[in-house]
Amino acid sequence: MRKIVIFWGVFFGLLLYLQATSMAQTPIMSEQLVYSLNVYNGKGYGGAFTPQTEDTIYLMADKNSAIFARTTLVYFWPITAKFMAGFQTLNEEVVGTLEILKGGKLLKSLKPQDNSLYYPEGYWGETSVLSIDEEARTYYEKYKKAVDEYYQKISEFYKARIEHRKKMDEFLEEIKKRREAGEEFTSEEIEKSIPREPKPPEGPKFYTTEPRQDYIINLPVGTYRIRIRAEDGTIIQDSQKNLVVFTSRRTGGTGYEIIPGNRWTMREPCDDPARIIYAAGKNALYFNPFTQDEYNELYYNKLEDPQNPGRVERWRWVHITPIKDVTLLFLKGKEVLQRVKRLPYSVKQVPGATLGYDIIEYDQEKQPYEKPTFEGYKLDLSPTLENTGYQINLEKKTGGFFKGGKREVRLVRKENSRLLYALSIFPLVIGVVVFLKRRKRLVP
Amino acid sequence: MSKEKGFLSTKTIKVLTRRDLGSALHGWGIYAVTVISFLLSSFFLGRYLGGIRENNIRISPDPLSGFFFFPSVIIISFYLTVLSSVSVSRERDQGTLEILFYGPVNSSAFIFSKYLKEMLTYLIIVVFFFAYFWGVSGLTNLGFSLGLVKAIFLSIFLVSCWISFGLFISSLTSRVRNSILWVVGVFGALWALYFGQGLLLSLSTEEMPAFLSYMGGAVSVIYQAVWWISPLSYLSRGMDAVNVGSLWLYGMSILYSIIYSVVLIILSIFILKRKGVRG
Repeated sequence: MRKIVIFWGVFFGLLLYLQATSMAQTPIMSEQLVYSLNVYNGKGYGGAFTPQTEDTIYLMADKNSAIFARTTLVYFWPITAKFMAGFQTLNEEVVGTLEILKGGKLLKSLKPQDNSLYYPEGYWGETSVLSIDEEARTYYEKYKKAVDEYYQKISEFYKARIEHRKKMDEFLEEIKKRREAGEEFTSEEIEKSIPREPKPPEGPKFYTTEPRQDYIINLPVGTYRIRIRAEDGTIIQDSQKNLVVFTSRRTGGTGYEIIPGNRWTMREPCDDPARIIYAAGKNALYFNPFTQDEYNELYYNKLEDPQNPGRVERWRWVHITPIKDVTLLFLKGKEVLQRVKRLPYSVKQVPGATLGYDIIEYDQEKQPYEKPTFEGYKLDLSPTLENTGYQINLEKKTGGFFKGGKREVRLVRKENSRLLYALSIFPLVIGVVVFLKRRKRLVP
Repeated sequence: MSKEKGFLSTKTIKVLTRRDLGSALHGWGIYAVTVISFLLSSFFLGRYLGGIRENNIRISPDPLSGFFFFPSVIIISFYLTVLSSVSVSRERDQGTLEILFYGPVNSSAFIFSKYLKEMLTYLIIVVFFFAYFWGVSGLTNLGFSLGLVKAIFLSIFLVSCWISFGLFISSLTSRVRNSILWVVGVFGALWALYFGQGLLLSLSTEEMPAFLSYMGGAVSVIYQAVWWISPLSYLSRGMDAVNVGSLWLYGMSILYSIIYSVVLIILSIFILKRKGVRG
């Protein structure tokens, strides 16, 4: 008995000691060969880097992805629990030939190629395209030319604006003199003859990054190994990594991003059709549907950032493109309760000392200098609705429902939460009944 | 003596199981522990509903089958493990084991009847689960789903792992006090290992002092080794299978649990035979 108590005492004491000694340490910078990545993620391109702690790089199959080896300073950042690269302090390119091996045999030898990212809808747009070699240089030249033309137009605009101000001053002076001389004008006459303000030019809508040299990898699904061979024929130390090339399991699903009216900044994903939307009380929900593809969770998380955790047995949906030309239906069984169109909305802070905001429908005529905060399908949930049997679905313009757009909506009864404790004690009541019956049998 | 008795005498098992199950049902333990587990689930449910109250929305895959059901299973598993762990050692401690073995009872029938009794006890608790979650569903409208039924069904196999683990400990020990101490210690150690490994994994190896780094490696190795031994990992795998909703993982979880239970029951019978009725 005493031995057992001492054994467990020492065991738990040691665990507590481990926990106590694992607190705050100073970060250590170490020089490492890392791979900087610019990888295709199903909807565009995203950047990340692979520190020495990660032995595998994950890429999407049959799509161009750019990688390059660099020597940099790596340190651990406890807040995010991830390694960070100090590229601004040290960013040395590791020159050589990238070799891709499959089953131990050399499959490809790659030399760095010029590449750039082309954003057709601008830098903040949702799509990006990796262009390589001549195309990359052409896109960049086109972008540079568009920027030069824009600056030229801006310069002309500033000149025109100075000219306009001058004309405006002269116009006001003239009106003033003529009014003093007794002449009268209607507002229409003034409106007609007032000098027109020049419109500022619009900048290039697209954006292209400056071409840089990377290894462009485009492989079918499979597992590979990569390494860099230096010019002297040797393999560069720490350049060997596993390469997992994967693709989606399912494509063309429908996912939602839901913006609750009472907390518009807190966006809730509802991607898996098995997920249920639990709602309570009066609220407005703004739905944003997307087409989505399903990927292995571990592979996709590691593709986004090689240091991300993930589980190989899990799958996750990734939003690809917004679905706009549909109608959102709120149904109870087969009965359509609401048909909702996609509309733009503005979030307005409530004026004065009161905290809060209002979400109002965006009106371009009333708000000419504003852009809508978000777009979505607004669904008003009333507290008078019954509790079960509701769904949302997306109706195509051509009729019929959008694939995978159905979700169940449940209205939760939150007022009954205290009764749950009373419900919990029913086994004890059964115990008392059993006890009394037995007692009655034993003591007649 | 044992040669004259059948390997698994149905009548013997039936009599022993009925005797033990009767005493379990007439005691307060099963009801008290079920109430405690339901109170814990109600507490979590209250918090969950509070979250919906605050945000007016929550999107999740059927919450009842996941994070509200499994805490109850953990508490009940612990109770049944303690019960099964003392089942052999108590009979041995009190000398009833010796008397029973003079009769038509052998090691296999004895261990199997103990296992059956604990499983039947859990099946009675499963009835309570159905009633409780049906009530919860009615009160909150969270929904009594097929996922919950699947989770409850899977829990029978997961709890079987814990019961056979308790029987295995019980066959090793001669005294009730030692059995309880070993079960509580192992239960605590497995949880500590589970959380300790998570904690050490979240730290950077470069930031750790050398001692902690070695310890991290050692804990990781122990964790890997314990992965197939610990009933906690079977529970964890089962919870994952239900959360992920994968039929393959669900089926594998049931299969692994059956294999684990069978192996431990056979080991318990073997140890009981080797140690004899007096330990």
